[in-house]
Amino acid sequence: MKFSYNWIRELVPGLEADPKGLMKLITMKTAECEGVEEYAPWLAAVCVAEVLSVEPIEGSHNVKAIVNAGPEYGARTVVCGAPNCRAGLLTAYVPPGITVSGGKHVRTAKIAGVESEGMLASGDELGINRDHAGILELSGAKPGDPVPDCAPDAVIEVDNKSLTHRPDLWGHHGMAREVSAITGIALKDPVDMGLIPATAGAWHVDIRDFELCPRYSALVFDNVKVGPSPLWLQERLEAVGLNPISNVVDVTNYIMAELAQPMHAFDADWLQGDTIIVRRAAEGEAFQALNGESYTLDPSNLVIADARGAVALAGVIGGAGSAINEGTTRIVLESANFKAANIRRTSSSQKLRTDASMRFEKAQDPANTVRALARAVALFQQVCPGIRVVGGLVDSFQAPAAPAPIQLPMEWLVRKLGRPIEAAEVRRILESLEFGVAEPRPGVFAVSVPTWRATKDITIKDDLLEEVGRMVGYANVPPVAPLQPVRRPWVNEERLFHHAVREQCAAQGFTETYNYSFISEEMARRFGLDPDAHIRVANPISSEQGLMRLSLLPGIHRNLVDNARFRGEFRLFELGNEIHPRAAGALPDEVPHLMAAVHTKGDGRAALLELKRLAECLLPGCEVRPAEARQFEHPARAAAVSWRGTELGRIFELHPSLVESGRGSVLDVDLGAVFRLGPQVKKYTPLRRFPSSEFDLSVVTGLRELCGDMQARILQAAGAACERVAFLYSYQGAPLPEDRQSLSFRVTVSASDHTLSNDELTGIRGGIIASLKAAGYELRG
Amino acid sequence: MLDSTLSELESRGVSLIDGAADAEALEAARVEFLGRKGALALIGKDMGKLAPEERAQAGKLLNAVKQNLEARYESRKAGFDLAALNSRLAAEWLDLTMPAPGTRPGALHPLTQIQRELEELFTSLGFAIVDGPEVETEWYNFDALNIPPTHPARDAQDTFWLSDGHLLRTHTSPVQVRAMEKFGAPLRIIAPGRVFRNEEVDASHEHTFYQLEGMMVDRDVSVAHMLYFMKSLLAAIFKRDVTVRLRPGFFPFVEPGFELDIQCLICGGTGCPVCKQSGWVELLPCGLVHPNVLRSGGIDPDQWGGFAFGLGLTRLVMMRYAIDDIRHLAAGDLRFLEQF
Ligand SMILES: [Zn+2]
Repeated sequence: MKFSYNWIRELVPGLEADPKGLMKLITMKTAECEGVEEYAPWLAAVCVAEVLSVEPIEGSHNVKAIVNAGPEYGARTVVCGAPNCRAGLLTAYVPPGITVSGGKHVRTAKIAGVESEGMLASGDELGINRDHAGILELSGAKPGDPVPDCAPDAVIEVDNKSLTHRPDLWGHHGMAREVSAITGIALKDPVDMGLIPATAGAWHVDIRDFELCPRYSALVFDNVKVGPSPLWLQERLEAVGLNPISNVVDVTNYIMAELAQPMHAFDADWLQGDTIIVRRAAEGEAFQALNGESYTLDPSNLVIADARGAVALAGVIGGAGSAINEGTTRIVLESANFKAANIRRTSSSQKLRTDASMRFEKAQDPANTVRALARAVALFQQVCPGIRVVGGLVDSFQAPAAPAPIQLPMEWLVRKLGRPIEAAEVRRILESLEFGVAEPRPGVFAVSVPTWRATKDITIKDDLLEEVGRMVGYANVPPVAPLQPVRRPWVNEERLFHHAVREQCAAQGFTETYNYSFISEEMARRFGLDPDAHIRVANPISSEQGLMRLSLLPGIHRNLVDNARFRGEFRLFELGNEIHPRAAGALPDEVPHLMAAVHTKGDGRAALLELKRLAECLLPGCEVRPAEARQFEHPARAAAVSWRGTELGRIFELHPSLVESGRGSVLDVDLGAVFRLGPQVKKYTPLRRFPSSEFDLSVVTGLRELCGDMQARILQAAGAACERVAFLYSYQGAPLPEDRQSLSFRVTVSASDHTLSNDELTGIRGGIIASLKAAGYELRG
Repeated sequence: MLDSTLSELESRGVSLIDGAADAEALEAARVEFLGRKGALALIGKDMGKLAPEERAQAGKLLNAVKQNLEARYESRKAGFDLAALNSRLAAEWLDLTMPAPGTRPGALHPLTQIQRELEELFTSLGFAIVDGPEVETEWYNFDALNIPPTHPARDAQDTFWLSDGHLLRTHTSPVQVRAMEKFGAPLRIIAPGRVFRNEEVDASHEHTFYQLEGMMVDRDVSVAHMLYFMKSLLAAIFKRDVTVRLRPGFFPFVEPGFELDIQCLICGGTGCPVCKQSGWVELLPCGLVHPNVLRSGGIDPDQWGGFAFGLGLTRLVMMRYAIDDIRHLAAGDLRFLEQF
């Protein structure tokens, strides 16, 4: 929302703050400002000039004009291309050195061979209106005067989001009321209610749905002469971003920008009958809007209709037929109130946001409709000479129950603010914002809320705390440490566990990535996941991000491919949630997973074993066993990870078709399952007091027999004396047959109560060998 | 006779030992004179044939020669040992500018690092760290937070809706209500986590980002208390005292609501492009918890009050490291991630 500094100053006469200062006041006490910009500063240098003579320039559509630009500039020669440049015309002269609208810099220059000292300007070039068909045509001024009734301004842009709860701040008068409360300077009310004739209305209103239209007021005018508005009005509208159209339409827009009350003028002669009907649209009802578009309505949309049909989409836009045109002589001026939620719904379902709908969405004040009509009478008298009000006020409404005053205990207010404040000060602040303040019992105010704050903004005492707090200024609230006792906070063990996992991964050389929770259908299929098994995003940013991930793999795979463009060997990991659908109605299961990956150029063995080591660091004693490969896994390099009897992870190499740059190996661990198993219980075993002995064994096995299995077999055969069995190396080649390998282990044995004798050692060793032989294994060496 | 033999032996021994060119020559000399079958040993054996009085005299003499040679031998040997050690050590020169073997530690994501930092800070202030689901119900994300059905925040253009009727949380604020339900009052929590907004991604907008919600519920919590916590928090985050200002801000779940700005750390408040020349940077929305939100969490607003705030972690990380493009944070590019 754009606010004109000049406009605010008219409503708060004597305001001393400059535009920047005003912006700061508004920011600190009322609403967030996005910035302040000068508006038409060049108007300070532009002056009225009379065209003295005009002569054509050969070979050019421009003319050479001699103008009298007043005492300061004197007679000047300017080259002008405007068709209306003629002798005797009073227009606007821009001296050299001035930059006008659109950054156009005016200088003395040769144009079409003629030295031009400055420029004659159009309304568009001066930022007064959008007319660029010709130069301004002025009257009632003499050369050297400033452009009549136009002046440089400044525009403060307030963030619309910070105004969503403040219907009153969608007009200058509402903002001026804030400025008045902040500065203590009296607010001027531009409305004179006495201008509305106290006679019967000349039209009728039939509201068929008071819920959607709590109030509909109107005035009828005749002897209307449609034409351009005076320049001051046009400049005002331009400054706040509204397009000047004609005097009648401009007045409605001016009042909307001043009082926040959107209005609409109908051509009364076009309306059928003498009754305005406010009703829900029929299913499929067609409506032709004045923007040239046609809309198909349904009963959720409210329309303003005459005897024939819809003439406006209520609170959003007027109809094409009944719009004000050059020949309009009689108007019905609507000033109504509509239910915010319904306007919002219509505006979004019809995809049509207008300055009117934007205001009605904020829940406007029903008491404001008649004020706006009174203001219109005054403005029409200024800009539409000869106009007459026909009859009196047309007004239909169901008065809403006035809300009960809010009880505001001073003691509560002080406690919430955290600093003392005098009751008199509270009263002064509230009254400056036009709240009614009574004190039915000592120390408790009964605060009545003005109508423009009562539609949704202020309902409870906490809302009043805000009013008082912001006007006191939060800079005047010193910070205070709370005196509440400190309690030991609940410890989020799972989060700490996740942090420990991250630390471990980083310590092992893996760098953390964060990937999106979204994946595409194609990614899902690529990793063997059925797109329909995923929860879908109903309104995804793109089809690439339409599914909630059931695995971190698509993201990690992308990381591998992307980074492989820059390096050959690298490690990364992500800790994030898989999103698994659950039974209807229940929130999905968010399963935290760790996925770590290594990209290498080599044969990939080391990478897989490195991931196994990471798994062992995280899950001491975990078991990793070959598993059947899934479609996206290397068929001979996939294993399941189990810990304390539960399978909760997987180590695999990606299928080479997925990683063309090298090899990608992956560890995936379900951290939810790990956490549920709880911390591993640690058990102390007394140290063995007697020395241990070692011996090595080399067992000949088939090529794909598992080292882990053989180790377990030896451990079992060695019996109670065995401390550990450690794998040493494997060997293939002569003298072993091609289909055999030998696996060598070192066995460490001891007894708890004596040193093992040679006989005992030989016995244990013999026992292991006999057991292996019985199972069909040969030993080597 | 023995005298002269010994003295000749001694002078020959001295010359061989002292003149030994290397450890091998020294060892040969030791064997020749001091060895078990060396010259001195042989003389010692022969001394048994002497008369007792001569024997004592000769024994003394022999011992003196032996000690002399042994001492010379030890000293020479120590010299050769030292030289040998020195030459070995000299040969073991190592170029330590060579790279160390093994894998370098990886880096934690900057968002992880800032979360941990803030978690530790708030733990020390007595706050529990609470998690909430990333997929939320409309009730927790909106209704419970006093956001009316007609509020613009509910529009599809801001919220990701899911096929199962749920939504992706648009802020960490739902955790306020979940925490009140779980712990009741009094309460001090923070909730860091991933949130989602349906926004086109560009250098400064992301559809996925991180927030940290904070909430304190107790008897008589005031604006002044909130200010105290916010100032402590910001001093800890920026490792220095920061100038803050509080101005009105509208959020349905707080009343009154505030925007907390900090004085621009780049220009110190005089105005620069980072603060859009205003001297202030908008940092966090906060406020006193709206009574309706307390009720949603099952807490009686007549008995308890609270404050809440929301800190944009993604923005904080970008500010701290002057990161120019938000997309780096989810791009998984190691060239970026390894810098933290
Ligand atoms: Zn700055």
